[in-house]
Amino acid sequence: MYGALDISTSGMIAQRVRMTAISANIAGRNSVMPDGTPYRAKSVFFEPGNPSARSPEGKKLGVHVATIEDDMQPFNIRYDPTNTRAIKDGRLQGYVLESNVNPVTEQINALQAARAYEANAVAAETTKSMFGQALRLLG
Amino acid sequence: MLIGDIGRSGSGPVLERMFQFAGARQRLLVNNIANMDTPDFRAMDVNPKDFQNALAKAVKERRANTGGERGELRLGSSREIVPGIGSLKLIPKTSGNGVLAHNRNNTDMESMMRDLGENSMVYRTVTDFMRRNTDILRTAISQRV
Repeated sequence: MYGALDISTSGMIAQRVRMTAISANIAGRNSVMPDGTPYRAKSVFFEPGNPSARSPEGKKLGVHVATIEDDMQPFNIRYDPTNTRAIKDGRLQGYVLESNVNPVTEQINALQAARAYEANAVAAETTKSMFGQALRLLG
Repeated sequence: MLIGDIGRSGSGPVLERMFQFAGARQRLLVNNIANMDTPDFRAMDVNPKDFQNALAKAVKERRANTGGERGELRLGSSREIVPGIGSLKLIPKTSGNGVLAHNRNNTDMESMMRDLGENSMVYRTVTDFMRRNTDILRTAISQRV
């Protein structure tokens, strides 16, 4: 049962990374990257298995962050012809490109990540109490 | 009764196997919870009925062989359980039940939490029984009630 705590920990770590990406998305919503393009939303993808586990058996169970990818959905546009970043010519003349972060989606993702983190914490607590019961057998 | 028989008498061996099963199953259950947001993940578990049937059969055989008071408990292998010496290997199956979410994951929080609660209760019951057994032994050794 020792691996059970490692598995719950891997779940908590993965959800924390996801929450970090969500925080970065919300914080960076109005930012412009050094190359002048707006901030792109980041998405975290999970995969089963835990490569950082100590035992070979533990590597098969658990979860880890596989990739953190840029969301390739088109940027939002806002009409603001006086803005220095407004597009000068073409179909989108006078529009300013803005980040493709959707604050509503991010809020929902944050709720989901928090609940999943909580579920893993409850599982870890249950495992800990089981350890405690087993240890009490010693007297 | 020799001192070596203490661990193999009464309900001790049965409780030991249940202890091992609940411990091994806990790993599967927490793995399902950890992967609740993993794309394409399917929940994995073993059927406790399968283990209970194997255990009931082993208890019946022990009773027939030695009267049930003492003797080795020979737990047979089944599709999902491979007993070893002092351990129990579980071969979990992926569940086809449940609604697939948009990320093709079929875990659902309610049944995962129910299974986790159920398993920890089994573990608790087993450890309580084991504690009673050791308390009786301790009382006998200390010759005090």
